[in-house]
Amino acid sequence: MILYTIMPEHLIFPVDEQAYTKQQVIYYDGIPFLVQETETKEWEIVRNLSTNPAHFLEQKYAPGARFPLSTITS
Amino acid sequence: MEKKQYIPFGSEDQQEEKQEQVVTNIQQLGQTNIPQMTQDTAIHCLTIIGQIEGHIQLPPQNKATKYEHVIPQIVAIEQNSNIEGLLVILNTVGGDVEAGLAIAEMLASLSKPTVSIVLGGGHSIGVPIAVSCDYSFITETATMTIHPVRLTGLVIGVPQTFEYLDKMQERVVRFVTKHSKITEEKFKELMFSKGNLTRDIGTNVVGPDAVQYGLIDEVGGVAQALQKLRQLIEWKKEGGTMLQ
Repeated sequence: MILYTIMPEHLIFPVDEQAYTKQQVIYYDGIPFLVQETETKEWEIVRNLSTNPAHFLEQKYAPGARFPLSTITS
Repeated sequence: MEKKQYIPFGSEDQQEEKQEQVVTNIQQLGQTNIPQMTQDTAIHCLTIIGQIEGHIQLPPQNKATKYEHVIPQIVAIEQNSNIEGLLVILNTVGGDVEAGLAIAEMLASLSKPTVSIVLGGGHSIGVPIAVSCDYSFITETATMTIHPVRLTGLVIGVPQTFEYLDKMQERVVRFVTKHSKITEEKFKELMFSKGNLTRDIGTNVVGPDAVQYGLIDEVGGVAQALQKLRQLIEWKKEGGTMLQ
């Protein structure tokens, strides 16, 4: 099926509400991260939102790295 | 073994004090890992990737740059005296006009030297963001799509909607012509030209062409961009005033 329309895709095919709550932005060690909660009650890093390039060199801030729910700094 | 990182060499008393602190940390937080910030680097890097998100939150599977993330970061960069310059990396398909212009205005009004580099694509509202920096680069293969503002009717009434969109477009044109060497005539010509895009009006400008039109300053990669940024930082330290 091809839809020729100027309407944005997300208006035509709305995503499940729950999908929005799965990911959130938190601060860990003062660095903003986009994270999602894992089954083991940990945060898994989806995206590092820092502007400091040095933060991208550390393994513990890399996407896929996990840290406990309690370690959020703000 | 981990501990060693956090205990710098000092006098015995200091060592003991530190050790005690570590013990309290273990007791209170259940871990020895004291959150510590890595040192600030002089050049920070802001990535504008995916879609530029506006008032409507995009589903999480979309890669998006959210202005509520980017704007506080720009404010933090402006305030932090350790940061001397900002490199803006663009690979965006465009998105919300208001959000894009907000980011572009923030970058343009930053007092620190800024250099932008377009990798892959800097389409649509990515264009004002690319030109908002003090100096702009585009890679050989990167492209920028220039097209009129499109929106799914926000204002009630056809003439009003048209006028609203026209004014919005005028803001984009004015911003781009003010912050780059392209003339208004040329930019509008690219914006309204037919036959370049499939079933749409506008132009897809490739790297060297963008430089030729005066939209972008130079063709180059990361090395050139960082070299230019360091040059601008040096120049600013010597008391030179910034040019757009």
